Amino acid sequence: MSSYRIMVIDDEKIVGDMAKLSLEQEGYSVETFLNAEPALSRLKEEKFDVVVTDLKMKGIDGMEVLRTVKKLYPDTKVIMITAFANLDAAIAALRAEVHDFFPKPVKIKELKESINRALSKA
Amino acid sequence: MRVGQKIFLSSAFNVALIVLIGFFAIQNLNLMLTKLRFVEIADDLNASFLEMRLSEKNYFLYSDESALFDIKDKIDKTMESIDAVSPDISRAIGEENLKLLKTYLAKYSEAVEALRRAGRTEQMQTALRTEGKKLKEFSETITVLERKRVNDIITSSKKVLFYSFWAILFSAIVVSHFISQRILKSLRKIESLAQSISEGNFRKMEVVRSGDEFGSLMKAINRMSEELSHREEQILQSKKLASLGILTAGVAHELTNPLNNISMIAQTYADVYDKLSREDRIEFMNKIEGETERIKEIIRNLLDFSKPKEANLKEADINSVIKRTITLVQNMLDISNIDTRLNLADALPHVFVDEHQIQQVLVNLITNAVQAMSSGGKLFISSRPGRDVSSVKVTVMDSGKGISPEFLPHIFDPFFSTKGEGGTGLGLSVSYGIIKNHGGDIRVDSKPGVGTTFTIELPIYKETGGGEEG
Repeated sequence: MSSYRIMVIDDEKIVGDMAKLSLEQEGYSVETFLNAEPALSRLKEEKFDVVVTDLKMKGIDGMEVLRTVKKLYPDTKVIMITAFANLDAAIAALRAEVHDFFPKPVKIKELKESINRALSKA
Repeated sequence: MRVGQKIFLSSAFNVALIVLIGFFAIQNLNLMLTKLRFVEIADDLNASFLEMRLSEKNYFLYSDESALFDIKDKIDKTMESIDAVSPDISRAIGEENLKLLKTYLAKYSEAVEALRRAGRTEQMQTALRTEGKKLKEFSETITVLERKRVNDIITSSKKVLFYSFWAILFSAIVVSHFISQRILKSLRKIESLAQSISEGNFRKMEVVRSGDEFGSLMKAINRMSEELSHREEQILQSKKLASLGILTAGVAHELTNPLNNISMIAQTYADVYDKLSREDRIEFMNKIEGETERIKEIIRNLLDFSKPKEANLKEADINSVIKRTITLVQNMLDISNIDTRLNLADALPHVFVDEHQIQQVLVNLITNAVQAMSSGGKLFISSRPGRDVSSVKVTVMDSGKGISPEFLPHIFDPFFSTKGEGGTGLGLSVSYGIIKNHGGDIRVDSKPGVGTTFTIELPIYKETGGGEEG
């Protein structure tokens, strides 16, 4: 099977490392980034099927990543994770067509299910 | 007595004095007019008497018998005119003297009559002369006396008016001075209380005189002070709750990331366990250990904040503390190209402080100032005696961007920061705790675009047991 390409952006290194290990277990191809600038550059080079991004980051934040991804690849799914779980942020993300929204601590099983859902729809 | 009543009484007293003096002046004036009226009449009478004596002389010199008729005629006319104005005369010189005058005139008239009937005899002539002389002398004596009396009345009136002028002036000045002194004394008391209330010291004043308006005013201000103190407690309480809310939110956020990391490590560990080598598994556990260290660090900071270390208070010269602090931050000031100026007062009393903690506060304030200024800004640090002699004041003033008024009330709140990512929001909060713990005070003044001034007041060192503990 052709492996789906997944990008994980979070300034906490452990989040990317663990997500990569767990998701590769499922047969996905995963690339991780600690901040948004290099991640967006990489996205311009190549399309990813799913982008998992932290909401609050130094420099370019998760909302900006979401909008840029939707502009570049309207069918790429974006999943938002955040330590600041609040309704306003969730609604704003929803309006920008976020696929899913996870408050930290993240349940990896749920994240996997969400990604599977995103890919089956695509 | 109420102040209004006092003022009314003193004015009433002055008015009564003026009325009394006016009454006295009118009395004197009336008396004087009576006397003057008599002097006028007396002048007429004297003229008549002079004419009689002239006729008398004619009679003696030229043996002119008809002169006696002239005299008699004049006597009768004079008698008539005396009778016509007798009330005026008696008022002026008294009934007694009027009778005497009339008697002298009657005797003179008799002498003339006797001479006319009996013809010239030496004895009769002498009687005429004597009576005429007596009449004239009596009349002149009374006239002179009355003139003198008029003069006396004028002199005494002048004196009375002169002295009463000074009496009224004196009473007005002394009484109004006395009342205004008491008013000013009360006002000064109230002013000093208002001053201390405005400084946040809700004391009460002793109500000295409860009867007057100032007594009620002092009571009202005391009530206000009490109410303000009560309100401040409430505000403090709600502020504490708000701070607790901010604190909790801040802590929750700080803890979420390491907790998420531990959770994800554990989930992944279980997920990929079979594929992990022994080293990988140890690596996973080390990562968890690292994240728990991170949580421990957060909790340690939090405890440091919520329970500041016991201050180790010692006698110290605040200027030396400031100078030593400057050496700590000199490098930062140089790099940011800050023009730093010290203005330290000489011979300040020593303070009772934990030098290390005060340095921490000053470093916080200076760091904030530097961050608020662009390169080339000006930093003024000064020390001088406090408002009351029991404290020393230190100010840190910058020429930075200032703090907008809506943020000012919150800048000492924990986790409140205007620096965005750069600040923890704990620096000023910790500084506030340290200064309060020293029994001191820290205030801020700021104008956006002009700069910010922090003022610290620290209690001075006292020989017996040192400063107060907050």
